[in-house]
Amino acid sequence: MPGVQIDPNDEIIQLRQLRKSFWTTDGEQQVLQDVTLSIRRGETMVIIGVSGGGKSVILKHMIGLLQPDGGEVVVEGRVISTPNYFDAATIRRKMGMLFQMGALFDSMSVGENIAFALREHNEGIPEDSVDEIVARLLGLINLNPAFASKMPSELSGGMKKRVSLARTLAVEPEIVLYDEPTTGLDPITADVINDLILDTQKQFHVTSVVVTHDMVSAYKVADRIAMLYQGHIIFVGTPDEVKNTRNPYVQQFVRGQRKLESVAA
Amino acid sequence: MATNRLPDPVAVLEAVGEQTVRFFRKVVGTVLDMLAAVGGIFAMCGRILWLFPQALRDPGAVMKQAMDLGVASLPLIFVTSLFVGMVSAVSAKYQFRNVVPLKYLGTSVTKLVLLELGPVLTALVMSGRIGSSIAAQIATMKEKEEIDAMTVLDLPPLRYLAAPRILVGILALPVLTTISCFLAIAGAWGVCVIGLGVTSYTFLSGTRLFFSSYDVFVMEIKALVFGLLISLLGYYHGIHAGGGAKGVGEATMKSVVSSSVMILLFDFLIAFLLLRNTGS
Repeated sequence: MPGVQIDPNDEIIQLRQLRKSFWTTDGEQQVLQDVTLSIRRGETMVIIGVSGGGKSVILKHMIGLLQPDGGEVVVEGRVISTPNYFDAATIRRKMGMLFQMGALFDSMSVGENIAFALREHNEGIPEDSVDEIVARLLGLINLNPAFASKMPSELSGGMKKRVSLARTLAVEPEIVLYDEPTTGLDPITADVINDLILDTQKQFHVTSVVVTHDMVSAYKVADRIAMLYQGHIIFVGTPDEVKNTRNPYVQQFVRGQRKLESVAA
Repeated sequence: MATNRLPDPVAVLEAVGEQTVRFFRKVVGTVLDMLAAVGGIFAMCGRILWLFPQALRDPGAVMKQAMDLGVASLPLIFVTSLFVGMVSAVSAKYQFRNVVPLKYLGTSVTKLVLLELGPVLTALVMSGRIGSSIAAQIATMKEKEEIDAMTVLDLPPLRYLAAPRILVGILALPVLTTISCFLAIAGAWGVCVIGLGVTSYTFLSGTRLFFSSYDVFVMEIKALVFGLLISLLGYYHGIHAGGGAKGVGEATMKSVVSSSVMILLFDFLIAFLLLRNTGS
């Protein structure tokens, strides 16, 4: 991204030979077979791949919501994927995640959603300060401060995702994970979200990992794009490298073609 | 031409052996799963009890649960308790006919309500009202990734979701059971006076006869344990729910079924521990 200096040797997240299986009614399903990927501090890494291919599973490993069957997740030099270790205070508070459907707390208003973690992690914080931060964050996501009193059920899908981003930013994370941020949105609202991802990186200097199958979004926000295919990362490169690669699987995906042969032709 | 060859005895034995091994594996697997679930519930219970002081630091959240789970249950308790008391009086009068003096009617109903019907029926009704409500709420939150969102924000669900609900469950059941017992006895008194030809004096003097505060103590202990079981199992099944509407439905059903069975099991255990050596 223009204006953002990224050191290629400063890797904030490393996935090393990650393996993960789930048990379904059809038996064991190996979703991640050997995922190795490094994310550099300050960059926006977009992970693309087919739906159900395990992209969100990668995100959930990065933030400790899932433990791998094998391999390691290293965040800021610390292995967070061992069963007995998860230092929530030092690692999890550095990370935030925007969920696919927003995952706003239904029983709380928009303002309470944004302020929840803020109040809990800063005991005794004056209510004036909380209101000020909530209003500022609502402004950042282009919503009127009057939205603070609305309930999540009164919001559209795009608004929910924006509020979810504001809630994530309230705790000032260094790493923001986006799970399908533009899925289910019309192209214009999706572009608003893309701009927010870019603005967030610019203003807060966060490292972003975006999982999507929306190539318009991927090309717009990515510094680098990684493609997950059948449990492996088969390609990592800049948006231009993705466009020009001769890798048939990447080309099949980015062109949205059903058959692999037609790409090679 | 079809031949009538006997099946190979070795193949038959192998098939029987394979089925037997598969059956025992399934049984052992189920038993191990159950033991793991019981262990998980105990471990979770310990962690939640440890979090009660933290939950109490947010009285607003506890009060909200108290209103949702406790106060909102009062109309249901009112109706069920009145009818339970009324039918107890009718049944007791029927069984007393020509055998037991009617002055013991009040005694019988009071003892029955305080020691058994009040706590057990209130708990069974509340497992459907409170337990299913907690299970459905938590399962829906899980389905909508709200639980994951809390975890990611470093707001542990055990502290913010489980502890206030279970604390309220433990506190609400004794209060609701006390109200239920009072209403049941009042219902029995009403039906005796209005419909069974028993005077108010006869019934009320019967309730005072052999009245023991120990009965109330046993009732409250039962209610407290039932409150813990209902809310704990509601949360447990909610947080372990499968995906989709089916998962939410199954969590709700499992919560009601498991808490109902556990209520009856613990009812016996508490009665056995607290009542077997007293009064002789």
